[in-house]
Amino acid sequence: MVEITVHEQACRGCEICVDVCPTKVFELDSQQRLCTVKHAEDCIACLSCAYLCPSGALSHSNYHSVRNFYRDLKFCAKMEKFL
Amino acid sequence: MDELLDTRASLQETMKFLGAIASGIEEAIGESANSISYLAGKRLGMKLSENVAQTDDIEKALGAVSKVLVDNSCLWHFETFMPHDRKELIRHTEQGEELMLVFRDCMIRQSLFTFGHHQKGSLCNMMFGFFSGALQNIMGCDSTLEIDHAGENACLKRLTLHRKPAEQIPVKRKGPKR
Repeated sequence: MVEITVHEQACRGCEICVDVCPTKVFELDSQQRLCTVKHAEDCIACLSCAYLCPSGALSHSNYHSVRNFYRDLKFCAKMEKFL
Repeated sequence: MDELLDTRASLQETMKFLGAIASGIEEAIGESANSISYLAGKRLGMKLSENVAQTDDIEKALGAVSKVLVDNSCLWHFETFMPHDRKELIRHTEQGEELMLVFRDCMIRQSLFTFGHHQKGSLCNMMFGFFSGALQNIMGCDSTLEIDHAGENACLKRLTLHRKPAEQIPVKRKGPKR
């Protein structure tokens, strides 16, 4: 399962992560003005929240990172037949 | 090794070319670009799945589509997704049977990023076409693949199968001959 870490000192409670998440993983703690991870099990690791967070307060671990296949030599060998 | 590096350079150029085509046709012909990509994908889907066994089971059909992609070295891996608040994977709606799919490795996304092009454009319709063509062959019904969210590392899509509810066929009973 994807592990999401919210760096509380960095989070400003802007709610961008809450708005952008397609699976509603985050929730805003209105008292502390911090985003909290409510349903980590629903995270699909699209990483949109981490890319958009203005203060870089979110980080993910234990997820499948997409293959940058144009730099992958093995995949290039496979793709040879299409070229 | 030199050959492989040449291949890599060719692949990168192909990807840039693909992105440039997508960008160009969108500007030149507008929304019709979506139809072109869709039809190209549909043709590919129908062609690659022509020998796949037919089934009525959605999960088996998706497994078959996934196998078709893997067998043809297509980097379009996907998996089904069920949010915590959903009781079942397949939801029955007015439009048909609906389920969510997560796409992780996607060669179109990589092509778009290589070119610096935005997501959810005409090229993304190629996958919609591919599913439509493949599922037409495997399940014999129309389908729609909508993009709910296009992310940097994964996309969330909604697959709807437009199947008519099973028609109730009246049982014919043999009556006494008159």
